Amino acid sequence: MKENRINRQAVILSKEYHQANFTWILTLLISLLFLMNSFSFKTGEVKPYVFALFGAYLATALLQLFIAWRIKRDLLLSGDIRKGTRRLGYIQLVSLATGNVFTASFSLHLLNKRKTPEYTFAVYTVLTQLFVIAISALNMFKPYVTDTFPMAMLLLLLVLVFQVVVLAIVAKTIREDNYPSSVGILALLTALTAITGNLFALLLGGSLLLKSRSTDESRIAKWNTMWEKITRNTMAVFGMFFIILMLTISVVSRFTFDYEVAVENDYGNILQSPSLVYPFGTDNFGRDVFSRIIFGARISLLVGFAATLIPAVIGGFLGGIAGYYSNRTDNWIMRLLDVLYAIPGILLAIAIIAAFGANTVNLIIALSLGSIPTYARTMRANVLMVSNYDFVDSARALGASDFSIIFRQIVPNSLAPMIVKATLTIGGAVIATSSLSYLGLGVEPHIPEWGNILRVGSTYLESHSYLAIFPGLAIILLVLSFNFLGDGLRDALDPRLD
Amino acid sequence: MRKKLLALTLVLVVVLAGCVKTKTDVSKEAETDSKGNGPSEKVQIELLGTSSGEEDMNIVRDQLIKNGFDVKLNIQPDYGSFKAQRDAGNFDIALSSWTTVTGNPDYAVRSLFKSDGDNSNIQDDEVDQLIDKASTETPDEYKETYKDLEQRIVGEKAYIAPLYISYKAQGINKEVLNPDTVRLAKSRAIAWETIDFNDASKRTEPLITQQAIGSLTSLDPIKGNDGSINTLNTNMYVRLVNLTDDDQVVSDGSLSYNYAIADGNSDYYFLLRDDIHFAKVENGKAVDTGERVGAEDAVFSLNRAKDKDSVPDHRTYSLHESMDKVEIVTDLSALDNAKQSGADGSIREALEQGLETKIEELVEDKTKADNGSGKYQVVKVTTQEPFPQVLNYLAHQSAGIVSEKQVESINTYDVASFNPDKDIPYGDQRTVTEGATYNNHLYTSGPYILVTKNDYQAEFAKNPAYRAGSEFEPKIERVTVRFIEDPDSALSALRNGEIHLFNGVPETKYDLVENDEKLVLQKNDSNAVAYLLFNNNSDRAVAKSENLRKAVLYSINQEEFLNFYQGNKKKAYSTVSPLVDTGNELTADAAKVKELLTSYQAE
Repeated sequence: MKENRINRQAVILSKEYHQANFTWILTLLISLLFLMNSFSFKTGEVKPYVFALFGAYLATALLQLFIAWRIKRDLLLSGDIRKGTRRLGYIQLVSLATGNVFTASFSLHLLNKRKTPEYTFAVYTVLTQLFVIAISALNMFKPYVTDTFPMAMLLLLLVLVFQVVVLAIVAKTIREDNYPSSVGILALLTALTAITGNLFALLLGGSLLLKSRSTDESRIAKWNTMWEKITRNTMAVFGMFFIILMLTISVVSRFTFDYEVAVENDYGNILQSPSLVYPFGTDNFGRDVFSRIIFGARISLLVGFAATLIPAVIGGFLGGIAGYYSNRTDNWIMRLLDVLYAIPGILLAIAIIAAFGANTVNLIIALSLGSIPTYARTMRANVLMVSNYDFVDSARALGASDFSIIFRQIVPNSLAPMIVKATLTIGGAVIATSSLSYLGLGVEPHIPEWGNILRVGSTYLESHSYLAIFPGLAIILLVLSFNFLGDGLRDALDPRLD
Repeated sequence: MRKKLLALTLVLVVVLAGCVKTKTDVSKEAETDSKGNGPSEKVQIELLGTSSGEEDMNIVRDQLIKNGFDVKLNIQPDYGSFKAQRDAGNFDIALSSWTTVTGNPDYAVRSLFKSDGDNSNIQDDEVDQLIDKASTETPDEYKETYKDLEQRIVGEKAYIAPLYISYKAQGINKEVLNPDTVRLAKSRAIAWETIDFNDASKRTEPLITQQAIGSLTSLDPIKGNDGSINTLNTNMYVRLVNLTDDDQVVSDGSLSYNYAIADGNSDYYFLLRDDIHFAKVENGKAVDTGERVGAEDAVFSLNRAKDKDSVPDHRTYSLHESMDKVEIVTDLSALDNAKQSGADGSIREALEQGLETKIEELVEDKTKADNGSGKYQVVKVTTQEPFPQVLNYLAHQSAGIVSEKQVESINTYDVASFNPDKDIPYGDQRTVTEGATYNNHLYTSGPYILVTKNDYQAEFAKNPAYRAGSEFEPKIERVTVRFIEDPDSALSALRNGEIHLFNGVPETKYDLVENDEKLVLQKNDSNAVAYLLFNNNSDRAVAKSENLRKAVLYSINQEEFLNFYQGNKKKAYSTVSPLVDTGNELTADAAKVKELLTSYQAE
């Protein structure tokens, strides 16, 4: 009886079991989505390709359900997952062919019993690379590809091979307590592959380097706990995966996608339905919506990051000063910022753009200005709290200058809430960019930007709904991803949740 | 193992590279003999337009870029700010459009291209001469003149670059309205009096239609000529003549039985009918004033139409400047003596055609007229030069007949010192807007009268004394005009039954109307031409260099516009194209553009 209770505990604690359930439910939902789309309600016809996808996803979901059941049974019986069950992960890995990132990441996690943050990074490095290659490869169905395409694809494939090798090495050799210093070169090379935008590779390389070089146990432990907490939150990891995938695509698309397909009008191919040549169809000017969305990611991410970074730096600086020097300075800065705070952000942005014209730089400035006060407030509150700590008094006693106290002692210790706030507001910035473009106030209408694409789509909602659905989905997914990642970071960084 | 994998990938990539075509491969195949010495440096062109013309701007931008230009877009949110930018000269080319509502070619060129035209930025004596010459000619003669004019404006000098001619399309709810009773005319605004419901017993219920602009310029016909009042004033004031759906001048549905042109093309006679009374609004209802619409009112209305100083903010005098004299004819022998133009008979014969009672006597006083006993009124219009197209202007809404008595009693202010805050002129929209300022003083001669309006809609009622008992008596008692600015919203309103009639279905949405079971789409030619206007009157390069303007002109490919609009546009050569078939056509020519750009850069 006692044994059984321990095993029940094991079921509750098991990361794999939770993930398995999460994965089969999600896969089933996606398969239902495909089922709904495979019937044309007007004509009653079945679309064979979509229906096949539904079948594949349903099969995956059923297999996943079976795996979940096996895990539960194993855990209840022995308190541990048996080897045979883990081997099922190899079968489930096949589902990667249908683009199911959820089951793929699950099965890779199931296969390896020892979970180090490095293994997770390596898995997602490879998955990101694979997806980027798959997305870029869709260009092969086009009548022609951009000149750099074959070379870029070759390099991407080589990088993928290298990363798979790294994944294997990490899976075989890395233990919680064993970081051979020989992985240094490997770590550097891996980090180097992050120039494609694949930040997972950078994390992997950095993490390996940190652990193979550092002797500071507490630092390693801190790093491990933080990532442990983030990776426990499945949605946060998938959010991070999508963001990094978008980032990588934005970088790689420069070499694998043809910009002219996205901006030049092609009157022979107006309003084509989705097909292999035009995966998301073409818009009213015959431009490939898929390429437009890919290139649009660049602007959305750029504006999103810039419009978050600028106010975070300015607001952080002002908030830091205001919080450290109390009363008069504080009042001056904060009351002035209150004036700015009183103006609705989006109205301020519209006013700025109406006055100075619509382009990317003005868009970033317009969106940045409005959110300076909120960052200043967050920073000020943290600084007020941190500046009362003993180490600040010690620094002061040691004769450190105000400047050095603020920027070397206080600010680094007040950063965590700022990071969380920033991730949560990037989503808002992405939406604001798209909203302004949707209103015709963002970037010029022919430039691929998600809000622009959505605006064209909105006038064709009834006859060619895919024109609005795909950019809409892209915006939703990116914003959701930032929000999930923000949530995950908050859970991991907030000391009160320990 | 690792080496094998690597080799495998390499092989894969080689195969992959072999089976895809890169862009240079394709462009090499497509390379033709058009390869010349392209311009060394890109010429920047600033394109001005409104956000509603964004699609056209994108096509123009795309075509110019493909021809080696660099395009800067200046998109303004509404027409007001667009006009401000245009007046300030902040453009190289501006996306413009022109609709010839009078249906005659003179109107299509006079104000746009003549040196002293109100919308003109061109100073060209040859153009002026051609316009004046054509205006005195009959349709057969002016074809050649307009052809020369077009070639001068477009082909030779490239003052404008034509884009396309639009169609007119309206959607009708056929479950409510009888589509056969709804007219769709090429030039004139829609006539409400013919429209009828499928179920005649419902005639007391309102006909609900739509227009985009809710702020009405003025309900005095001469004080406005824009989309806010054209349809409304057309249905509120009767005119001496009308245009048919294909722009022929006729007397049907007008104040006249017949009209005649005297030999020499300078004198025009109109035989008036006696069965129309002015209507006014009393206690929210339209009532018969008992005052007949007669020759005195016609003379008064046309005289004030051609006199620039008759009212403040006179917007239409340039249409009527060609008229010299307007008078009532009382001498019957004058009609017998005058000859018809281009025919043998006398004016009297022409005017008497189809009359039940022949003309016995001409009277000066409208109260004495009695057509049943042969007492008629005749109005004669004399133009300064022979100008047959004056009839088109008389069919325009601005030539609507107002009541002399009523207008004089309202417009008591001094025109020179008019103060819009204090003085309330006849037709001011404040007098019909719900609220404290409501004081409806309209006297209308047409089939309907505006009862009241607010920001959302305007209510009209039938004139009870408008040709009662005849086929032209208004069928439906009340008309509601909803103000819906966005065409997509208006289309939704039509589809969900909120409005019965929508004039102006967007080209890309025709199929939605056609596929809707309860709707029917009517299509007709229109006189609306879209074109690019060059900044001809400035220090900019486009104003100075004919080569640059022509390079832009020959970059325009009208085929692509037709493709984009799914064939729902027609090719244009100038604003005259929909009215006169001159045979001119603009063909895009990339090689010519390169040549022209090179010679421009050598300038």
